[in-house]
Amino acid sequence: MSKKNASVWTSIRFWRRSAAWVTGTATVLLIWLTFNTMGQISMGSDADLANGVKKRIPAPTVINYHIDYVMDQKRGHEVPVIGQKEPFFGKQWSAEEAAALLHHGKLTSQAKNCMNCHTLLGNGAYYAPDLTKAWLDPRWEDGTMAAITGKNSKEEAMAEFLMHPSQYPTHARMMPNLNITQDEAVALVAFLKHMSSIDTNGFPRNFSQNAKRLEGGTNAH
Amino acid sequence: MWESCTDIACGNIFALLNEGPLTLTIFLHTVIVLPMFFIYFQEKKRVNEEAR
Ligand code: HEC
Repeated sequence: MSKKNASVWTSIRFWRRSAAWVTGTATVLLIWLTFNTMGQISMGSDADLANGVKKRIPAPTVINYHIDYVMDQKRGHEVPVIGQKEPFFGKQWSAEEAAALLHHGKLTSQAKNCMNCHTLLGNGAYYAPDLTKAWLDPRWEDGTMAAITGKNSKEEAMAEFLMHPSQYPTHARMMPNLNITQDEAVALVAFLKHMSSIDTNGFPRNFSQNAKRLEGGTNAH
Repeated sequence: MWESCTDIACGNIFALLNEGPLTLTIFLHTVIVLPMFFIYFQEKKRVNEEAR
């Protein structure tokens, strides 16, 4: 009996097993990655904030805290640092109130379609500045906008701007009046403040530098 | 070349696999390709036996 050396490359069974192995492994990996990611992006709790537990996405009650944007040498980019408690629109918000406020802000951002001009966490249009870290824009932090709008706090200045954006133009492009009510403006500011506290691994890149360079303008050219 | 983990998710398996250049890619390819050699030789043996 001669010793045959048949080819595997023409064997249907071989290709079927290979395809099943690759597809199956990739499927399992992607499902694993999905659940792993869901754990990473789930919101922290009010207790986490009180105990200084770092979460990528803090609880809605983060609006009760001062948020700093600090250069982290090790990570090579700026990271939001949650500091001391500070009043937000003159008060501390309970977990329920804060969650409801954020929800209202999110719905308003969708109803008024901020994404039509802005990007939120990188998603949206490139007409106006990215809003991910808008709350941490030095212009709001250093009191420039408070002075321009004649308000005493950052959040009141931002709400005033959102209600009458075309009265306070700061950039070549002007934000139009979107008929935002006082309640909606407060909710939107909360939504923006919460978003700025999310650890986005340094996105958008060089935010503070660019914000200064572009005078509160846009990263979109 | 080798960056220590700077993400806030350090300790997570996917963060660990992201510490060096191409580590995730090389790891996944190794995990997927090595068993394919096994499939190849197993099938080779079977095909040869059937041809006898
Ligand atoms: C029609 C386009 C458009 C829409 C829609 C729009 N904006 Fe704007 N927005 C702009 C432009 C342009 C600027 C820059 C204006 C300036 O600097 O004077 C701006 C500026 C801002 C700023 C200041 C940014 C900073 O870094 O200081 C905030 C905050 C803001 N918008 C929030 C919102 C929110 C919240 C919504 C949704 C309710 C919204 N915008 C919808 C065009 C738009």
